[in-house]
Amino acid sequence: MEKGIFNNFYKDLINYFENGLPASRLTEPGWLSEKREAAFNLFKEKGFPSRKNEEWRFTNLERFLADDFKFRVQNGADKVSAEIEDFEASRIRIVNGRFAADLSDPLPDGMTFMDTSAALSDPRFAGKFGSIADDRESSMLALNTAFARDYSILHIAANAIIKKPLHISHIYTEQTGPSFIPYRTLVIAEKLSEATLVETFHSDAAAPVFVSFVSEQQIDESAVFHSHMINTLGENVYFVQHREVLQFRNSVLNNSNITLGDTPLIRNDLNFRLQGTGTETNLLGAYLLSGGQHVDNHTLVDHRMPNCNSNELYKGILQDKSHAVFNGKVFVRPDAQKTNAFQKNNNLLLSNQATVNSKPQLEIFADDVKCSHGSTVGQMNNDALFYLKARGIGEETARRLLMEAFVFDIISRLEIPALREYTAGLLKRKLHTDNLVIA
Amino acid sequence: MLNINDLQASVEGKEILKGISLRVNAGEIHAIMGPNGSGKSTLASVLAGKESYEVTGGNVLFEGKDLIEMAPEDRAREGLFLAFQYPVEIPGVSNINFLKTAITEIRAYKGLPPLSSREFMNLLKEKQELVELKTSLVNRSLNEGFSGGEKKRNEILQLAMLDPKLAILDETDSGLDIDALRIVANGVNKLRTENNAFMLITHYQRLLDYIVPDFVHILYDGKIIKSGTKELALELEEKGYDWVKEELSVQASHSL
Ligand SMILES: Nc1ncnc2c1ncn2[C@@H]1O[C@H](COP(=O)(O)OP(=O)(O)OP(=O)(O)O)[C@@H](O)[C@H]1O
Ligand SMILES: [Mg+2]
Repeated sequence: MEKGIFNNFYKDLINYFENGLPASRLTEPGWLSEKREAAFNLFKEKGFPSRKNEEWRFTNLERFLADDFKFRVQNGADKVSAEIEDFEASRIRIVNGRFAADLSDPLPDGMTFMDTSAALSDPRFAGKFGSIADDRESSMLALNTAFARDYSILHIAANAIIKKPLHISHIYTEQTGPSFIPYRTLVIAEKLSEATLVETFHSDAAAPVFVSFVSEQQIDESAVFHSHMINTLGENVYFVQHREVLQFRNSVLNNSNITLGDTPLIRNDLNFRLQGTGTETNLLGAYLLSGGQHVDNHTLVDHRMPNCNSNELYKGILQDKSHAVFNGKVFVRPDAQKTNAFQKNNNLLLSNQATVNSKPQLEIFADDVKCSHGSTVGQMNNDALFYLKARGIGEETARRLLMEAFVFDIISRLEIPALREYTAGLLKRKLHTDNLVIA
Repeated sequence: MLNINDLQASVEGKEILKGISLRVNAGEIHAIMGPNGSGKSTLASVLAGKESYEVTGGNVLFEGKDLIEMAPEDRAREGLFLAFQYPVEIPGVSNINFLKTAITEIRAYKGLPPLSSREFMNLLKEKQELVELKTSLVNRSLNEGFSGGEKKRNEILQLAMLDPKLAILDETDSGLDIDALRIVANGVNKLRTENNAFMLITHYQRLLDYIVPDFVHILYDGKIIKSGTKELALELEEKGYDWVKEELSVQASHSL
């Protein structure tokens, strides 16, 4: 056996897969059953990753997976506010992992959204599941492959220029008992298409929820795909996401990853594999943590081909006893000449009980490249603080203004005004500056 | 208004102010001159309440209240203003929100309601014209990417907006071209009343051609070694600091 975690939750899962498979599984296509079988065996052998696993050194899952998580029957999401004010977008809601047709809008021409049964019966996508996120080492990915209950596909047709963004709200609402929600989406942005996907994550959960969300994305030649993730999850949700993005020749991918909720655990594995030449990848991240929150962002930008550009900026503030992990891998493979790869992670550490583990990891195997990375952990700028106080602004307000400014640096780069407003509002709410007259 | 009595202060264990006494009354303008490193900015910082400076002796009364005991924000709310020699750039905090927050907090301290948006904008427009600062700068992040002169004019805009009783201008004239200097000086002259007072820290007589001081003090090695009227500044310009130092050593040898 490996150095994994083999707790009660693990045992329940093993038992569930081996003995209690739901009927729906029997009607699944054979290729999927095979993938699930293989993934299950991997998970069974490895267990949940423990801190002995280098990729999980700073995130102790055992602490978060102590509850008796089960698959549970889910109900509606009427109470959760998942709207973004003044945001002109098509809306789709995914409630507890499942597409909620009654809460969703029709989509513009060129954009299709398929729920589990449509996704699995469409021959165009047969075998796609698990073919982009194909890491054979990751037991957390295997967990999702083996158990994902729901699966949806977002398809953007070749040459479709879709102006109206798609807003997918992911909502978790467990009320009965600790629940396990594994699900997956596939995004295919075909050649020369352009689209914007905004994903927001919300919860109203009375009982603990453990979410395993995997998103596989394929950005075809010369496609432009803007994707934003805004996480506002509440105190009962443990959120683990794996996102695997394949970028082909001349494609552009923008991703923002903003955490402004109160959830105790977030672990994001965001992998961007640059398969074609001339691609562009821009990654933004922000986190504002308080209490005992633990947020772990692992990003990987894998330059496999020449002439690709990547740019990454993550900024975060830590208060109280919170813990942030940033692990930013940038690989520049031998073929990836003329790569431009920049990465930065800046942290503001505002409590001596908070912890940051920031590790930029640049591995370069090509010689004609421009790369840089940097990471900082700093305290509040006392000169700035004094400047504000010297103008009559009280200590508390001055601190909040400076914190807001630090994160606002990221938020102000979001290109959609309604999204800037929305995230600025979340930021103010979290900093308790929303009741200040500073607008 | 301001009564400094034998003020001594140090930073990182090093004594910098070595017993300063100075009295500023309403309606007066005092110029403080002195060579580099003599302690002019230190005096200004100590008055404004910068935490890294330790007051080791003496006292300061501002409108009868013990200034040294007050938090920096309360000093500002009581009507003390320091135009910084090196204004800090604060990315992400917009100039306009900053001004509004400052005014709101100062008014709340005095038990006044916040200004309405319109009142605020009207006030801003009026004061902006006074210092001829472009609206694009007012909407930008605080001092970020401002030129030296723009930063200094922004300090004067804040001064005009907050309308303090005592304003200390720490080398606001340095780095200004002659047009900007005139604008700043005009601004100060217009803001000047019988009820407020100014302390101008400067190296140059040039500023004092535009803003005529009632008193000139020379600060040297943490002490005020000579005080006089505006003629002192002219004499200083002509003869340099060595002249004062010589005079000082003559006095010192006399008293032996
Ligand atoms: N934070 C500090 N740490 C250490 N020394 C300091 C600090 N601030 C000031 N000093 C020292 O105190 C002395 C007085 O400095 P101050 O800035 O008050 O001079 P100044 O008269 O304003 O000079 P200038 O005309 O160059 O602005 C100098 O020797 C300076 O090096
Ligand atoms: Mg100085």
